Amino acid sequence: MQVPRDAVLLRVFMGESDRYQGSPLYEAIVLKARELHLAGATVLRGPMSFGLSSRLHSAKILRLSDDLPIVIEIVDSKEHIDQFLPQLEIMMGAGVGSGLVTIEKVQVLRYGAAPTT
Amino acid sequence: MAYVWVAIGGALGSAARYGMSGVIANLTGGVFPYGTLFVNVTGGILIGFLATISGPDSRFIIPTAARIFMMTGICGGYTTFSTFSLETVNLMREGDWMRAAANVIGSVVLCLIAVMAGHAGALFLNRVRGG
Repeated sequence: MQVPRDAVLLRVFMGESDRYQGSPLYEAIVLKARELHLAGATVLRGPMSFGLSSRLHSAKILRLSDDLPIVIEIVDSKEHIDQFLPQLEIMMGAGVGSGLVTIEKVQVLRYGAAPTT
Repeated sequence: MAYVWVAIGGALGSAARYGMSGVIANLTGGVFPYGTLFVNVTGGILIGFLATISGPDSRFIIPTAARIFMMTGICGGYTTFSTFSLETVNLMREGDWMRAAANVIGSVVLCLIAVMAGHAGALFLNRVRGG
């Protein structure tokens, strides 16, 4: 699989307690991305956050640590990301209906063994 | 039967702690464990009050079951030493020694004052009712 040099970075922000059909939402999104043969996906977990509700999440305070932030990063060509977005929308919409999705242009210098041309 | 009272009281106390510490933590932010401090101090007032109001010198005759239910059950479930300890260690691990020290010293001092305040409140009530 190849990723063009001019690619797109899709970021999905959510909470670790968000769920889709009984399993963690981040897991469902990564598995769906893999199923659709996207170039890759990485899940990052953060120690502190707040979002639309202004509700604070923090790993330091036990009571605030039950929904810590998760960010999924997916880099692929714009066409592949655009094909994935409707699936993502279904999964995000089916959950708690919160979260943040962003897209930015990125330059891919290397994907796998060979430098990207 | 005592275990049943402790279990029911503990369940109520823990749920109250979960709710109360959530409200306080959301109001005060995620930097200092005010929620835990608040439940421990208010729990201290409560147990100080209950100990004195149900003690041998009190005018009120409180059954042993009620005492176990309220003090061991509710107060035990409501207050938390383990969360206090965990959050203090969290602060220490981040090198935030000032807040860690403030939490230890502040919590211990405030909780002891809280128990004394509860005790004083119960003594006052005893006297007033005694006329």
